[in-house]
Amino acid sequence: MLTWLTTIVAFGVVLAMLGIANERKERALQFVLSLPLSPGDYVRVKLFGLFLCYLVPWVILSAGAVVLLLVRPNLPDGLLPFAVLLSGFMLANFSVVLCGALHTASEGVMTIVIIVTNMNVTLFIFMVGGVPSLHDHLRAAAPVWNDSFWIVLAVEAATLLIALSLPYFVAARRRDFI
Amino acid sequence: MTHPKHIEMRSVRKAFRFFTLEDLSLDLEPGQIMGFVGPNGAGKSTSIRLMTGLLTPDAGEVRVLGHAMPDEQAIAKRDIGFVSDDMRLFAHASVGWHMQFVASIYPGWDPQYAKALVKRFNLRTEQNVSGLSSGEHVKAVLMLALARRPRLLILDEPTSGLDPVARHEVLTEFMDVLRDEDRSILFSSHNTVDVERISDRITFIDRGRLVDSNDKETFLDRWRRIQLQLPAGATLPDLPHVISRVVDGQFVTLTTNHFSQDLIAFLGSNVREVHRMSLEEIFAANEHAHPQTDRQRVLHPPLAHHRHHGCRIRRFGHRHRR
Repeated sequence: MLTWLTTIVAFGVVLAMLGIANERKERALQFVLSLPLSPGDYVRVKLFGLFLCYLVPWVILSAGAVVLLLVRPNLPDGLLPFAVLLSGFMLANFSVVLCGALHTASEGVMTIVIIVTNMNVTLFIFMVGGVPSLHDHLRAAAPVWNDSFWIVLAVEAATLLIALSLPYFVAARRRDFI
Repeated sequence: MTHPKHIEMRSVRKAFRFFTLEDLSLDLEPGQIMGFVGPNGAGKSTSIRLMTGLLTPDAGEVRVLGHAMPDEQAIAKRDIGFVSDDMRLFAHASVGWHMQFVASIYPGWDPQYAKALVKRFNLRTEQNVSGLSSGEHVKAVLMLALARRPRLLILDEPTSGLDPVARHEVLTEFMDVLRDEDRSILFSSHNTVDVERISDRITFIDRGRLVDSNDKETFLDRWRRIQLQLPAGATLPDLPHVISRVVDGQFVTLTTNHFSQDLIAFLGSNVREVHRMSLEEIFAANEHAHPQTDRQRVLHPPLAHHRHHGCRIRRFGHRHRR
């Protein structure tokens, strides 16, 4: 599980750093913005492109986790809802990193965003994994898709939507881009 | 059909915490090379960023190739080649990759011209950008801008980091661009020799304000260094448009930015020599006359406020510098 988590987190950090932060740090952003696109176009392209890039490993790793839970007899299927929530959390977490990278030019702020989002993974596992209505069914033979599951999933979806929408309304409308 | 001006800036203002670009107005016509000069912190890069849509003016209007900036920048930039000395290509991609990338975006990309430029600039298409020297990097960026055949080239310190041979090659390329009369260049540089050599219009800004913008001959014609020998004990009154005055005993050197025969007539037989000034001398004279700490000066007092009438050489104490 640790390898799975590390891999999925690393993909997100590397994509955000290489795709946005390093471009700014290495001053390639000026070259990109000399091309026929507006800062708004740049934000939209980066957001959409990097999110799609992240979806590839995320889908593979999430599907792999689900398949593993279904095919391994020693792993209870009751873990499935938590695995889905954890995958959803990773996607929402990446969208927050992406949102941060598109809004800040500061390396320090970006480092804080990455540290906080990484710490959130541990917090999520302990806090959501400790919710009795979820925790009590982890070892069940069949998955339980109860209200708690749907509420957490809805919060993740909302976080994802907010983090992906914010750059359209803030970063894309900045008066000064460099 | 009339062609729009390639750059129009009208009363543009852009304020930052420690710097304000104030009331900047300038025009660049098709077919012109404008040398955009000024000391460090004058506002050249800010002006260029306003022209390329990277900054939004607080007041005033910026139009490039007839398009309002920054709102229509995506359309305008189809015909703009922008190169800045702090612009970097993608470090881990090759020069050839960049050429394919830019060619895929610009329909006007000229592969034959690109190939010729690669050869002339001694670039290797298979080389990664991270392995280029700073001079080669500048040449690669310029090659990518030139080969797309833009109508307007905006160049922010493009020759910094180039050796004299490379600078000569690059400047020659700029001149070639102007063979097409519908193309123009705005060229910002500290290298006043380069600017004087290739520009046909010079815009001089300092501390966020326009000092002068004129065709090169008119611009250079306005500036003169006048050496005088005064009678013993005599001193000069304040003269309009004399931006510096250096007194060494009876000898006085005046630098004026509004030279006229009226001034020579007024100074009369005291005049020993009148020198034309190079752009570099003008640059230095302006800087010495208005050091960085002097931020409240009026750069161009209206001519009507300064009349020669009534001025006479008086027998008062010497003033060493105005």
